[in-house]
Order: sequence, then structure tokens, then C-alpha cells
Amino acid sequence: MIEVEELRKEYGDLVAVDGVSFTAQGGAVFGLLGPNGAGKTTTIGCISGLRQPTAGRVRVMGHDVVFEGPASRARLGVVPQDLALYEELSATENLLYWASAYGLRGAALKKRITESLEVTGLLDRAREPVKRFSGGMKRRLNFACGIVHEPQVLLLDEPTVGVDPQSRVRLQELVKAQAAAGTCVLYTTHYMEEAETLCDRLAIVDHGKLIAQGSLNELRAMLGERDLLRLSGRFPSEAQIAAALAGVEGAEIVQAEEGSLIVAAPQASRELPALLAALTRVGAEVWETTMTRPSLETLFIKLTGKELRE
Amino acid sequence: MRYVWAAALKDIRRRLRDPLALLIWLGIPFVILALLSLVFRGGEISPQARLLVVDQDDSMVSGLLVGVFAQGDMAQLVQAEEVSEEEGRRRIDEGDGSALLIIPEQFGNAVLTSQPTRLTLLTNPSQSILPSILEEILSLLVDAVFYLQRLAGEPLAAFASGPPEGAAGFSDPFIAATSIEINQLMTSLTEYLNPPRLDVSIEIEESEEHKSLNLGALFFQSMFFLAILFAAQGMSDDVWVEHRLGTLRRALTLPPGVGGFLAGKLLAGFLLMLAMAVAGISAGAAIYGFPAANVAPSALWAATSGMALLVLFLLLQLFATSQRAGSILSTLVLFPMMMLGGTFFPFEAMPGWMAAIGRRMPNGWALERLKELLSGSATAETMLPATAALLATLVVGTWLAARRLRGGFVGR
Repeated sequence: MIEVEELRKEYGDLVAVDGVSFTAQGGAVFGLLGPNGAGKTTTIGCISGLRQPTAGRVRVMGHDVVFEGPASRARLGVVPQDLALYEELSATENLLYWASAYGLRGAALKKRITESLEVTGLLDRAREPVKRFSGGMKRRLNFACGIVHEPQVLLLDEPTVGVDPQSRVRLQELVKAQAAAGTCVLYTTHYMEEAETLCDRLAIVDHGKLIAQGSLNELRAMLGERDLLRLSGRFPSEAQIAAALAGVEGAEIVQAEEGSLIVAAPQASRELPALLAALTRVGAEVWETTMTRPSLETLFIKLTGKELRE
Repeated sequence: MRYVWAAALKDIRRRLRDPLALLIWLGIPFVILALLSLVFRGGEISPQARLLVVDQDDSMVSGLLVGVFAQGDMAQLVQAEEVSEEEGRRRIDEGDGSALLIIPEQFGNAVLTSQPTRLTLLTNPSQSILPSILEEILSLLVDAVFYLQRLAGEPLAAFASGPPEGAAGFSDPFIAATSIEINQLMTSLTEYLNPPRLDVSIEIEESEEHKSLNLGALFFQSMFFLAILFAAQGMSDDVWVEHRLGTLRRALTLPPGVGGFLAGKLLAGFLLMLAMAVAGISAGAAIYGFPAANVAPSALWAATSGMALLVLFLLLQLFATSQRAGSILSTLVLFPMMMLGGTFFPFEAMPGWMAAIGRRMPNGWALERLKELLSGSATAETMLPATAALLATLVVGTWLAARRLRGGFVGR
């Protein structure tokens, strides 16, 4: 279990993480979803002991990461965002090194290395130098290094960035298997589909702040089953638009910028003619309309007013 | 400790997979050593006195005297050069030569007639041994002339005084009798006179500190320590390599943390340098005759001081803003250490003031202790405080490096 309470991390004037709190349980995947620079990696860094929190408290399996660093780190497995492998060494030698840090030795060490290579599909390439591996194979070995010691808590920092679709699916299966085996998995990503597929619970972060958290269903409910309408064209002021949309039931401005407008509305396909008529009445000129069904992405846009991949 | 060992083993494996760096660290110093050995003829020192000779007599006898220095083994010890008196005095004043010998006019005649004469030998005060050798040789030659006068004084005097009055020359019987007499004398003395029977034994008294060392051995010690210095600087760069690989960040999330990571790296450095030291010093002992019993403590000292140098270079790397800046910074520090610290030019070949500075540099200080250990002149009184200082440097340096590593470095 990971318990994060009012975590804050500052770098000089920059507040990278601002009062983030959440709890991730064993046997489930907890997702941290947010755009680049939202504070996900810093949060992982504070949990893993790589960074010292400025304020707040983090416990891993009940051990405070600041005051009981070695004990908390002993329960962690970390799969960093970037590859962390020795390219001159073989897959076995890499695993041997990382596993030895957790006190594994002898037959147990050999067994775990073999198992890790097997689940990641690298057993037949175990003795080859890593520099000969493909990108996907390196990603899988990177994952194997994080699980070789069977950690109680597994931190995965965007492990599928830049990975081909086949390897991505393989890695996602490995993550699910870890959670199914009882491991507490904390998974950061900025891929909506990945979060929806993998995570049992989610926290959405932006600008260092946690803006929503819950299960996928709980988060979808926050959107109120409303569709998102993205309109492009020429629009009057936000106040005029708001006044015009007051006559359309359940319609709400999510984002209004020059040349674009995002509106949340229940059953938007049915309300679209009324909505366009209301906008035309206040002088708007709509050139293009796109409708999106409720999803994490629409929730993110609703909560932050921007696209996740911005 | 198991992790530290695993971390060290990992670094050693990585080094052995890329042996080029190891070859460069070892290769460059030993190529330089080989070249220097060739230049200095394998390190053998062969002192030679330069004798400037002013022959004002220019007789057969004075010619024989000068010729003595050009015969047999004497020619290897003394290089005689005839000069004018003016040039001879000028050159000896400038220190160009070991001594100036002035043979006066009528020297030959005086020798043949057993008359007093004076040979003048001006010695170069800036040289201590070679002028004394020349003085001794000349003294022996004067003694030889004295005994020759005693043994063949009469016939020599007869020749010197010229033919009897009124006679056009010496009579044939006189010449024949005298010739036979001199021939018999010379035959009996030829073993001693041609070349002169002088056994010159050269013994250069070494200071206690550098007993049994020659130039090759001095350069060997310097070049060996240069290899250690190169290795320390080269290995310090690895912290940036690990940073680039991402393995540093991951390592700091391990239970042993930054301390275990650094300890593993230093242990790897120590073991690699110990292997270099054992191989290098054993070879040195075989070639230059260092006592075999001194190899193990010397290798241990070299590896430990190499580890301390690694920590110093590591600190420079950790305070640099990039790998390139770290490389430049450590090279900037390496060069003065290399040139002044006795690891390129031996202290013995440096001016005193420069050697005094060099001996206070970290590598110079460590090299001096290594020389003491190799020569067997090290004592517990000198080595115990030195070892304590070395270990203290290691502890403080590692603590600072750990702080820096945990602080700003990893976030770059």
C-alpha cells in the first residue's frame, strides 16, 4: 500500500507537486494521469526516495520514505520512465545486479532471474549483451529489473512511452499480472486509453495538483454522462455565449478561446440543432463541429480545460 | 556488503567488456617509460669526466701523458680535449669540463733529466666526484713518472743531455746498448704501463632514501603512478555514464541507497587498480630489482591511494555542470598533478623548488610513500600516519560525494 498525504515538492520557486494525497492499495493498479510536466514523475520520485519531499508524508507498506528510507525502498520495485540498463552487460547480468540489492542470493536469485526473463519473453536472449536488443526488448528487460525481487509495491513511470504497439500490449499484460498477484501498482501515464484499460483507480493531476480521483466509473460519473462538442469558427464573448446556451438544457462551456469552443451537453447529438441556433443568434459563425462520447479524455478536458496531450 | 560486492563486480565486468580504456591507462605511461629507457640507454648511468688539456710543451713526453687518458678503460671514464690556455680557463670558469690540466713548457725535458716541474690541474668546483677522480689519476701518473726516473734515469738523462761534445751524434754501440736496456725495462714494465695499470672502481654513494635506484627505476615509479592517476581520472567519469544510462537514478531507489552505490564504485576502482598495481609492481620488481617482499605492501598502497584520487576526481565530476564540463575540469586538474606531482618527471629530475611543490600534491605525496615502500625505507612511524591520512581523505571525500550525488547531481 502507498499512502501519500499532502505531498509537496518545490524546486526553488517552482512547485512541482502541490498538496497531493491519495492511497493505492495492494492487488490493484492505481493510475496517475496527467500531461507532461504535471508532477507525476516528481511524485514517483518522492515515493521511491529519489527526491526528498518539501512537505507532506509518504508511506510505503507503512514505512515512512524519509525516516525509514531503506525499509520503504526494500518493498519497492521501480520501472523508470527512461531505460535504466547496462548495455554492455547481458540481461542476466543486469538482473543479477539489481536483484542483489534486495538481498536475493543463491538458488532463489537464480530462480527469480529465470522467472523474470521467462515472463518478459527474454529467456532465449538472456546471455546476449543488452546493446543488441530491440527497443521493445529493452523495455521488457527494464520492467523485469523492477519485478525481479517480487516487490510488494511497483512504481511504473510511463513505461510504455515510445514502445511499439505489440510490446505495449505485452507490458500491459505484465502489469495486470503483477496486480493480480497482489502487488500494489502505481502507474503513471498520459495515455488515456492505457489508463482506462489498466487502472482500477485513477488520480488526475495537472500543474502539480490532484484535480480528481476515484474509480473509472466514479470519474465518468463526474462528467454527468455529458458529451463534448468541439466547435471551431468565429465566436462572440464568453458571456454572450453563456447567455445563449442558457436556453439549452444541461449545456455548459468547458473552454472558450478565440476560434474554438468546447461545450459539454447531455445527448449532444439531439441538442445540436438547438445549440447551433442559439449560437447563431448571438452572432457566432460555426465552421466545424466534432462530438466526443464521455471518457477520461472528456473528463480531463472538463477538469482542466485543455487536451491531455498538450 | 553483498550489494557493494555485486555493484563492484558489475563495474568490473563493464570495464572488461570495454578494455580499450584500461589499455590506454596502462599503455600510455609504459610506452613513455619504454621511450625514456631507450633515450637513457636502459637507465644505465655512465659518468664521464671531461679533461681539458693545455699542452704548452708539445713534446713526446707530454703527448704520452695526454695519450694515457685515451687508452683502454680510461677512455670510457675520461674524455680528454686539447685546448688553448685561454679557452681552457674560460670553459672551466663556465663549468664546461671537469678539470683543466696545464702541461708547462720543458715538461718533457724535465721528466727526462729528473728536474722539478709543475703540472697544474684546475678542477670544476660544481662537480664533486669526477674532478677528484682526475686528480687521483694524475697523481698516480706522476708517481709512475717518478718510478720511471728511478729505474731508467741514467739512459734517459743521457739522451736528454744530447751527444758527447764534438760528436755529430750518439755512437751506434751507445744507442744499441741503451736501446736494449730500455727495451728490457719496458718489456718488464709493459704490463703496467701500456696501458697504465690503473684499476678505477666507480662507486656512487646513494642517499639512504634512493638506495639501489637507477634512472630507469625512477621513471618506472613515476610512469606506474601515472597509470594509476589516469585510471582514477578515467573511472571518475563513470558517474556521468551512469547518469546518462539512467542506472544512477534507479540505483538510488535501491535499499542500500547512495552509500551502497558509491561504495561499489570505489571497490571496483580499488580492485582494478590493485590488479594494475600487482602486475605493474611485480614487473618493476623483476626488471629493476625491487625486493619481492615490498611488492604486496606497495601494491596495496598504490591501489588505496588510487582510490583516494578516484574520490577527488569524482568530486570534481559531481560539481561539474555536464559530462563535458566534468571532463574538462578533471583534465585541468590532472595535468598539473601529472607534470608537477612526480608522475611524469621524477622529483629527482626536477629543480628543488618544483619538487618541493610536487611532493605536496596528492599524487606526489602518495608517490613518495610508494617509493619508500618499494625501496624498503618505509617505517611504521611514517606509514601509519600516512595511511590514516589517506583513509581520512577517503571517508571525507566519499561523504561529500554522497551528499552531492543525493543532492543536485541526480536531478540534472
